[in-house]
Amino acid sequence: MPSAVILCVDDEDIPRTLRVMVLAKQGYTVLPAVSAAQALELLDQHHVDLVLTDQMMPGLVGTELAKILRAARPQLPIVIVSGVNEIPDDAIFADRFVSKVEGPLALFRNIAEVLADYRSVAGSDIPCVESGSSGSVAQAIPKIPRLSKSQ
Amino acid sequence: MVDDQAGKLLSYEVILSELGENLIKARSAREAMEQLLRNDIAVVLMDVSMPEINGFELADMMHRHPRFQKTAIIFISAVHLSDPDRIKGYQSGAVDYIAVPIVPELLRAKVSVFTELHRKTRQLERLNRELEQRVEERTEQLRQSEEQFRTLANSIPQLAWMADADGAIFWYNQRWYDYIGAGEQEIERWGWTSVQHPDHVERTMERLQQAWNTGELWEDTFPLLGKDGKYKWFIARAVPLRDSQGSVARWFGTCTDISDQIAAEEKIRHLNSQLQQRLAELETIMQVLPVGVAVSQDPACDVVTGNAALAEMLGVGPGDAFSPAGMDLREHPFRIYQEGRELALREFPLHRSALSGQQLGSMELEVRHKNGSTTHLLASASPLRDPAGAVRGAVGAFFDVTGRKRLEDLLRERADLLELATEAIIVRDLNGLLTYWNSGAEELYGWKREEVLGKPIHDVLKTRFPVEDEEIEAALASTGSWDGNLTQTNRDGRELVVASRLALKAQGDAILEINRDITAQLQAEDALRKAERLAAMGRVAGIIAHEINNPLEAISNTFFLLRDHPSLDDEARHYAQMGEEEMLRLSHITRQTLGFYRESKHPVEVSIAQLLDDILELQLRRLEFGKIAVVKRYRSQGLVQGFPVELKQVFLNLIGNSIQAMPEGGKLRLHVFASSRRDSRRAGTWVSICDTGVGIDVEHARHLFEPFFTTKSAKGTGLGLWISKGIIQKYGGTISFRSLRRSGRNITCFQIFLPHAALGASDRIDAPPESLKIAEPAGRASGRA
Repeated sequence: MPSAVILCVDDEDIPRTLRVMVLAKQGYTVLPAVSAAQALELLDQHHVDLVLTDQMMPGLVGTELAKILRAARPQLPIVIVSGVNEIPDDAIFADRFVSKVEGPLALFRNIAEVLADYRSVAGSDIPCVESGSSGSVAQAIPKIPRLSKSQ
Repeated sequence: MVDDQAGKLLSYEVILSELGENLIKARSAREAMEQLLRNDIAVVLMDVSMPEINGFELADMMHRHPRFQKTAIIFISAVHLSDPDRIKGYQSGAVDYIAVPIVPELLRAKVSVFTELHRKTRQLERLNRELEQRVEERTEQLRQSEEQFRTLANSIPQLAWMADADGAIFWYNQRWYDYIGAGEQEIERWGWTSVQHPDHVERTMERLQQAWNTGELWEDTFPLLGKDGKYKWFIARAVPLRDSQGSVARWFGTCTDISDQIAAEEKIRHLNSQLQQRLAELETIMQVLPVGVAVSQDPACDVVTGNAALAEMLGVGPGDAFSPAGMDLREHPFRIYQEGRELALREFPLHRSALSGQQLGSMELEVRHKNGSTTHLLASASPLRDPAGAVRGAVGAFFDVTGRKRLEDLLRERADLLELATEAIIVRDLNGLLTYWNSGAEELYGWKREEVLGKPIHDVLKTRFPVEDEEIEAALASTGSWDGNLTQTNRDGRELVVASRLALKAQGDAILEINRDITAQLQAEDALRKAERLAAMGRVAGIIAHEINNPLEAISNTFFLLRDHPSLDDEARHYAQMGEEEMLRLSHITRQTLGFYRESKHPVEVSIAQLLDDILELQLRRLEFGKIAVVKRYRSQGLVQGFPVELKQVFLNLIGNSIQAMPEGGKLRLHVFASSRRDSRRAGTWVSICDTGVGIDVEHARHLFEPFFTTKSAKGTGLGLWISKGIIQKYGGTISFRSLRRSGRNITCFQIFLPHAALGASDRIDAPPESLKIAEPAGRASGRA
């Protein structure tokens, strides 16, 4: 089971609640936040391994939050989920921009890949969680290499 | 010698013979009478006493005869005669007596006296006769002369008259009577004044009286009444005719008809007054004439007069001189320039004309006023000449052409503007023949002005009007203009669409036309409309996607939570599983229809062959059910860099269309091969998808890739091919199709080219280009149904 702490940001209650539950079922520890502002507060108070945020929110949208976090915490992985089809230009500040329609399995896979990327960069002292409980899913889908910013 | 006695006769003869006179003897009184009658007898010597008739009786007889009354008689008497007898004798004319006896000397003396007397008497008589004759002759001459005078007097055109010394007229010539139509009696003496005009009588009489008194020549002018009842003017003159003593004997006068002269004078007076009027009119005209007129009456043109118009043109005030003669030009109200050069005084039109003696045509002058304004004049001048031909002055006419000049400038400016215009500006006459063609038209249509002028321009341009000619004519007639789009062909044969505006020229004799090329604009508008539709579609798709994707995620998360949920029994878990499956289908359809979506920002290597196999697998049930045979021929794996979901959508769409096009079954061929396009040298993958379905109508072909175009009415979104084309184009590829009908079968073939390098990939396959062979038997390819 993955042991990472995920900050799940979404202004809509039901989708957020369900996403939190799904992630919890997958084994993640999940901190819910109803807005980017609340997310920033929680980040100051808690250890978070990855931020998973909805794109379309009142106040700061997902990519704006990503931009702030990328500047403040470059080592914090960020994944944006969105119901829209077009990928906004500032999606570059996030590690992944994932469609909501892809379903929970794709979401898990993306989260796992991003976390793995960060852990491999950070060093071997951080335990690798890539081959998690739902390893079958992760293995079934070919790994997409993350294009580093320098590329 | 009369005596009845011959002896006595003889004695008398003897006595008298020595006198040498012709002696005639008579024996009786009778004989004596005969002799008297027969001869001119100077003296009769007769005896008183004779038989029959005595001497006294004979004397008495003689004296009774007029011829012999003065004939001298000498009586011879033998008896003494008493004194009463003597007296009687003397009374009867006898002049002497001789008594008997006769004293011869006495007789001779007496006879000699009487013959001498007779001779003298005869001489006197002869002289008298001669005198009388001369008088007669003279009288005749006079008569003739007077006749001549009267003839002359009657033949002269004047009325002539003669008056005696005190002015009483005793003669008029015939002309008088002819003129006044009256008789002699009426105008005799002073009667003529009755025909004189009453206003003039008194004066005339006064002056005449003065003339009579002084004998001076008289002259006066007055009207005389003619027989036609009209007065005519006469000039009357009278000259005195003096006798040898120098006193006035007569007055000779004439009256000359001067009515013609008076009429001529009247006419001259009339003409003069007319001339004055004309002059006054001319003066007035000069003052109101819009043409400036200058006149100089001296050859040096020192003094120039001008009319009001000229004063205004030159800005000359009441106190200013028209000619700056003797002035400093700078002091003058105006200065004159020609073609930018200031004219000296001698070059001014009047001066130049007077100096040269030449008429000057149209000089274009610029008048610069003191206040800085400018007037443009057109001047002409001509010298004035005296009868001898010497120049005595000059006249000039000046037209203010400032307005015209401005208009010319304006027109030139307008013409330049017309040439500047990018629109085609065309003028044609009512027969459609071109009269004007600006450079914009040359540019637009490619025809040079000289090539098309005078030609029926709309034939040249193959113009197609959107409406009937009659409708355009009606619009021109009612509103004066017409707007619409025309389709025309330029010189290169290219078809143009122009926005045209036609207008009828104000005079109605030409049609003005301004055409603007809107071909590109229409294309752009068309493209814009497409882009707008695309954008609208994108927006709609985005909104729908967002609104559907959000709940879809929630639902799929819900199904994920339900999966293996401990509280569910087998049956409930089964239901949840079914629900999740259907939900997945929903997700799939949403993803396909509501837009292309990248699952990742980054392209990956995709095998088109693999992709096609996946799709065939998905569609397996429909293919089998639809009795569709699939023929695959993969010569290449068709590796491209891209996003699998998008590419899958393209081919799923094309294959789905093919399946739908073959409701009665058929054959579906899928070809994949690597190639490099000759023209671009870009390596890539060709994919062709052919079916034997219903084919594509020609009229549908144009719209095939347009959004919302569908032949499936309610079934399709009309977005499939449009989205597919958009995706292919994003990859830098192409999509095209052909639909053939061959031996009763339709073959519809879509061909897609995807370049390898499109999205940064580097796998290059150097296979030779291979054309697509649709007609190739399907058996060759490795088929998989």
